[in-house]
Amino acid sequence: MEIKVREEGPVAVLDLKGRLDLASGSTLKEEIKKLYETNHTAVHLNLTEVEFINSSGLGSLVSILKETRLRKSRLTLSNLASYVQEIFDITQLSHIFEIFSSEQEALTSFQSPVTS
Amino acid sequence: MCRYLLVYHSKPESEDQMLDDLGRILADNEVDTESTQHFMLAVSEAFTNALVHGNLRDASKLIKLDLRVNKREITADIRDQGRGGLERISTRKPPTPLAESGRGIDLIQHYASNAEFSEDDSGGLIVTIRQTRHTEQKIKG
Repeated sequence: MEIKVREEGPVAVLDLKGRLDLASGSTLKEEIKKLYETNHTAVHLNLTEVEFINSSGLGSLVSILKETRLRKSRLTLSNLASYVQEIFDITQLSHIFEIFSSEQEALTSFQSPVTS
Repeated sequence: MCRYLLVYHSKPESEDQMLDDLGRILADNEVDTESTQHFMLAVSEAFTNALVHGNLRDASKLIKLDLRVNKREITADIRDQGRGGLERISTRKPPTPLAESGRGIDLIQHYASNAEFSEDDSGGLIVTIRQTRHTEQKIKG
C-alpha cells in the first residue's frame, strides 16, 4: 500500500492506495501513531484508491479509531468504493466510523463542532 | 479445468504475494470482476486465519492453496499446519463493535457461494471456498 500524507489546515490527510490488509494495516497504524505523537489532533483517510480491504485491514482501522479516541482526537474516512462501503456495512463498522462521501465534506466538518 | 498449487510461508507479506498470484490467475481465466472481488476477499480471510491463528505467524510453517478454475466455478482449499482450527471456528463468538479481529469467518460465509471447514490427518485446518462465476449465472438465466 502507498500512503501519502499532506496537511489540509489542522487536518493530516492520508491518501491510501492499494490493498489494506494484514501487512499494510500495521504500516498504517504506525504512520498514524507518528502523526498523533507530533501533535496532530485530526486525521482524515481518503480511501479513493483503496482497491481491496479485508478483516485485517478493518481491524487496523478499528485499532486506529481506538487510539484516536484515547487521545481525544478525531478520525474521518471518505471516498469509499462501493465494494469497500459494502464491507463496512456488512460488518456494521459504518456505524462506528465517521464516513463522508467526499474529502471536502469531511474537511468542512472539522470546521464546525461535532454533534453526537 | 485448470488447477494451480501455491505454497507460502506464514509471513504477513505473503498475503500480498498470494493476492497478486490469485488476481493474475483469475484474470488469465477471464473471471468476472464481482466473482473475483468476492473470491479474493474470502480466500484472503482464510489465508489470514491460517497465518495468524493456524500457523501462529511461524514463518517456517506453510500455507497451501489448491486452486481449481472451470467455466462454472472457482474453488480453493486453503490449508494450514496448525491444530484445533475446527474447534476454534465452531466456538468463536461474534465480535464486539470495537473488536480488532473476529470478522473473517463471517465475511467468508457472506461472500463465498459455499464455504466448508475440515481438518487433515495432522490436524491442520482446510477451508474450502467455492465461488460460482457470475457471468455463467447470467448465461444460464
